[in-house]
Amino acid sequence: MVNLLWMDVIHVNFIKRAGLTLVAKKGRTALLVLVTTAIMLFVLAGLLIRNAANTATATAKANVGATLTLSQNRAAAFKTMRSSSQSGSKPTLTQTPVKLSLAKQIARIQHVASYAVTVTTSANASGFDAITTRGTTGGFGGRGPATTSGDITISGVTSTASATAFNQKTASITQGRGLTKADANSHNVVIESELAKQNSLSVGDTIKLKATTGSKATTTLTIVGIYKAKSTSTGMPGESDPANTVYTGYGLANQVKGSKYVNTADNVTFTVSAPSQVAAVKKAAKQLINTSKYSITSDDQNYQLVKSSMATVSGFANKIVWLVAIAGTIILALIVILMIRERRHEIGVLLALGEARWKIIGQFLTELFVVLLVGIGLAAAGGKVVGDQLAQQVVATQTTQSATTGQFGRPGGPSGQGKQLPGGGQQTAKTNQAAKQTKLATHVTVQALALLFALGLGIILVAILIAAAGILRLQPKNVLIE
Amino acid sequence: MLTTKGLGYWYANPEDYLFKDVNLHFDAGVMTAIVGQSGAGKTTMLSLLAGLDKPRAGTIAFRDEDIAKLGLTNFRRHHVSTIFQAYNLFTYMSARQNLLTAMAITQSAHRGDADYANQMLGKLGLTAAQMRQTVARLSGGQQQRVAIARSMVCDAELVVADEPTGNLDEANTQAVVDLFRQLAQDLGKAVIIVTHEEAVAAQCDAVLRLASRTVSWERQPSR
Repeated sequence: MVNLLWMDVIHVNFIKRAGLTLVAKKGRTALLVLVTTAIMLFVLAGLLIRNAANTATATAKANVGATLTLSQNRAAAFKTMRSSSQSGSKPTLTQTPVKLSLAKQIARIQHVASYAVTVTTSANASGFDAITTRGTTGGFGGRGPATTSGDITISGVTSTASATAFNQKTASITQGRGLTKADANSHNVVIESELAKQNSLSVGDTIKLKATTGSKATTTLTIVGIYKAKSTSTGMPGESDPANTVYTGYGLANQVKGSKYVNTADNVTFTVSAPSQVAAVKKAAKQLINTSKYSITSDDQNYQLVKSSMATVSGFANKIVWLVAIAGTIILALIVILMIRERRHEIGVLLALGEARWKIIGQFLTELFVVLLVGIGLAAAGGKVVGDQLAQQVVATQTTQSATTGQFGRPGGPSGQGKQLPGGGQQTAKTNQAAKQTKLATHVTVQALALLFALGLGIILVAILIAAAGILRLQPKNVLIE
Repeated sequence: MLTTKGLGYWYANPEDYLFKDVNLHFDAGVMTAIVGQSGAGKTTMLSLLAGLDKPRAGTIAFRDEDIAKLGLTNFRRHHVSTIFQAYNLFTYMSARQNLLTAMAITQSAHRGDADYANQMLGKLGLTAAQMRQTVARLSGGQQQRVAIARSMVCDAELVVADEPTGNLDEANTQAVVDLFRQLAQDLGKAVIIVTHEEAVAAQCDAVLRLASRTVSWERQPSR
């Protein structure tokens, strides 16, 4: 009694023939799987990088800060100063602080998420010592808005979290707490750790600062936090050591500065929730301000940098996808053509038996389809590894290019924002931050696999269509008899 | 069953024809041999009769229907079964899978019936083990039997064979000739065999000779 194989009982058709061929010709099947997997792997890597770049751009839109800064129009102020100089009087640059009421008006514009006030002034340490560096002649002439300078720089802020140094991680709270909105008019202060060490100060202690302008009154402040600054003095003559910067609420800084500065700020930074709306918000803000007194500048370069980097990465990933898809189609088509040439005899026998040509093409398509499924499965397993490696290389190249542009190709930041580093240094910090944000994380998603499957199917369809010409032309007599 | 009218064939130049104006008739239950010198056009004639090629002139009718109108693929699938000297089996399949594949393609009444395939292979002397083996591992004689079994299971009324005993020894040759006789006499098929072996031709009911661009009956089938 002959044992029947299950395959024999099932109605034999071209799909079954495809299965029989794949199993019987293991070597050829393995080779096809290998080639298809390689093609699918690179197509998937390209898709993953593109998706990751798109996600990074979307994340950048949501997270990378875009800001508008309202400050005095210095160009207009200098122009006024020059015109008064021509009339014979001593040239004096008139300071026009920003009114907080104006800032509140601007804050109501759509897409403005929040605003942070910055008031910078100086005072002299009273009962404790400021840190002196070689070349320091006392004070930091020219950096603050006041013409008379103390040895302590007071940075009045809405909150320490919104201050540039903390925002860019060049400073961080190490003891106690940072300042919040509630501290605006309080006598709380956050001092630098070196200043605290030198004077044996800790959280809870008090310090006294003597104003150098206005009433020149002495104010007692309570230390609520100590921060560590990463930046160091550049040693330039006249520059105060960064450790001499203390943070207070902007209300207190205005008090120290003088009574005429109440409810004003050196500058106000508005955070725009949608970076792509910066231009629209800026336009709306300009309609609210007197542009001869104030200027409003936008800073969405982090967003633009990430967007530009990701656009390049995404473009490169697209090229990978298309190049590999086209090359893959050509390679697979050539393999299928060779496979069909090798199987002319088999095709001849099928034709002699009366098999329809479309079914013979269908058999080859089925074989490649099965190979494609296996290839996609293997590519899905290894796609993340290849995608991550490729993405790392692409982003490394892209970040180097961006950082180079950031450091040497652009001028420093706005002078009004210079806190601890000169303009160029601040620019570098921002660029590095943006570069960090361009790190890509690839993920094999169902959507990516579905797209890969569609592309793979397209590739094998085109390959089969090209190769099918050989089957359509083939005459059984030429193969089997002659 | 199969009739040719004004049949002609040439390659490039109609003046250099292999044969022309050939009118033939092949009946059911008759085993016919086509003989002739090499190059006389035996295999070409067989290709035309099997629907593997189109005539340059004239028509071939199966049961009074032009096979060109019937469609050569359709004709090959349903009405004719071809046996080749080189067997032309699917070498990666077993003997049984070869039969089942042919039965599926030709939409035979027994398609999918593995028992029927086994029965046919058994009739032709193949063992159960040989039925399961890939045909590449079978001997020439065994492969030729599988090829004949394939033609038997396909329900085709016309069987054409190109030098079916060309690669076989004397004993196997006689066995194969006997099988063809069974196809004609027992199953009522019209069997046409191209052969260069006079001994094989001698056992056929009719002999058609191709020589010097002429086609003539050496021995007419008795009607």
